Amino acid sequence: MKFVAVIRQVPDGESRLKIEGGKVDLGGVTMILDQMDEWAVEEVIRLQEKHGGESVVVALGPERFEEAIRTALAMGIDRAIHLVAEGYLDPISQAEALAEVIRAEAPTLVFTGGQQADWDSQALGPALAEALSWPVVSWTTQIELEGETQAKAKHDLDEGAEVVRVGLPAVFTSQQGLNEPRYPTLPGIMKAKRKELKKVPVSASSKVEILEQTIQEKSRLNKMIDGKDPVAAAHELVRLLHEEAKVI
Amino acid sequence: MILVVLEHDGQRLRKGALEAISRARQIGALGAIAGVVIGENTQAVAQEAAQYLPTVYAAEVGSYTPEKWAEAAYAAAQKSGAKVVVATGGRQSRTWTARLAYKMKAGLLEDTLETSTDGQHIIGVRYSFLNRVTEKQKAALPVVFTAKPNTTPLAEPADSSGVVEALEVSLPPTVEVLERLSEQKKGVSLTEATVVVTGGRGLGNPEAFAGVEELASTLGAAVGATRAVVDAGWRPYSEQVGQTGKTVQPNLYIALAVSGAVQHQAGMNKSKYIVAVNKDAEAPIFKIADYGIVGDVHQVLPALIDAAKKLKD
Repeated sequence: MKFVAVIRQVPDGESRLKIEGGKVDLGGVTMILDQMDEWAVEEVIRLQEKHGGESVVVALGPERFEEAIRTALAMGIDRAIHLVAEGYLDPISQAEALAEVIRAEAPTLVFTGGQQADWDSQALGPALAEALSWPVVSWTTQIELEGETQAKAKHDLDEGAEVVRVGLPAVFTSQQGLNEPRYPTLPGIMKAKRKELKKVPVSASSKVEILEQTIQEKSRLNKMIDGKDPVAAAHELVRLLHEEAKVI
Repeated sequence: MILVVLEHDGQRLRKGALEAISRARQIGALGAIAGVVIGENTQAVAQEAAQYLPTVYAAEVGSYTPEKWAEAAYAAAQKSGAKVVVATGGRQSRTWTARLAYKMKAGLLEDTLETSTDGQHIIGVRYSFLNRVTEKQKAALPVVFTAKPNTTPLAEPADSSGVVEALEVSLPPTVEVLERLSEQKKGVSLTEATVVVTGGRGLGNPEAFAGVEELASTLGAAVGATRAVVDAGWRPYSEQVGQTGKTVQPNLYIALAVSGAVQHQAGMNKSKYIVAVNKDAEAPIFKIADYGIVGDVHQVLPALIDAAKKLKD
């Protein structure tokens, strides 16, 4: 069996974003393996540990993505393919480029993050499934293989969840609760340096253009009420919400 | 031609469908608008939709799977010759619209706050980077876009009623749904509420949520929870606000004993007014709060309930 995780590198949510020339400038920002992709990587490693076979990460993005790829390798993934492309490429166009490589790998299944922390997009997994003509299970919280050709999975819907049986190969996207990702160990990090990382240049044009990005932190009132007397503070808060903000 | 995919509950159109129709009308310069109702009991829902649109297709394909929805929307787009497809945002919708965009070789604009056209492109505004950045995007036709819920006025019925047409869809192989686990619904829906009261782990134990519920019911609010609280099993996942939970944008968001991690902020930082109660004066939540009380939630919350009750009397 072969299990593929598709990953991306994104800004750490805690880092401060700045805008240069109308676009988000990631210079000086700490970049990490997307946390929802981390769940995908962990699940792929667990599937391999349970069922044997091989685990592979595939990433499409600029050179700097290599750091995130090395993190996945240090967690325990066997090898990596990096499709190198600079500049913004929308998820639908990315799916097209990724599908070609993944089809050639012929994996048992593919896992990726439910939503990417930079695009706030949920499209990559399902678009990839469409490009491969496979089914998709999004926001997966549980997965269990039933032999090599079928899996049972639980996943979130808009309201509630459902349990599905799906023929393999299929694409799954991750959701909180799926697992608890392991940390890369020092031997893991050392080993990762020697693992295969194949680079493939990609040229593709984006179907979507980003015209402008702005950070509009809503200016907040930041009115602090002294909480030493809880009853007085509560009354003052309710008064402000009623008379000043007029929201209750 | 513009196609609107109309969300429904098997009986009636959902609010999101009426928002999507409004969005389609806003770009009406691109041509006539058709609608499609996909799923079960589509004929009846399509009759209701025909009060708004001149042509409504009814695609009877059974229960939801992203493959079936994408295929049915694709068939309707082909039949109507639509160059733009509009749908409501939401987890399910954002899954099948991605498949549809791929089928149509279309640009996909997800979860847009507003949309416009110059005749050749759709220009959309949306949030990115965990809701911290507002982004303007542009894509050449064909385009598929989803409208973020609660961003658009609801459509009014048209002057004259339209026609309903059954649409045959050849169904692709797909997932088999074994069991559907629905959420228990009580009180106000979290995503539609105008006031949300959220409790964090600082409450100390699940029993303390009785106070959160009491304040919420006094204010006609929905109850929210942080990820830590949900992970601890104190509250159901359906109440989680944040990156991997629900995104809310109420007039008033009250965060009780919530520290305010970035992932939580991604689900609530667009609220009109934010109130924070926390004993830690350094908690990040205070940086984005309009009103803050540094104090013990176990003392402040009962006092808040009293004060709110007095106001409502």
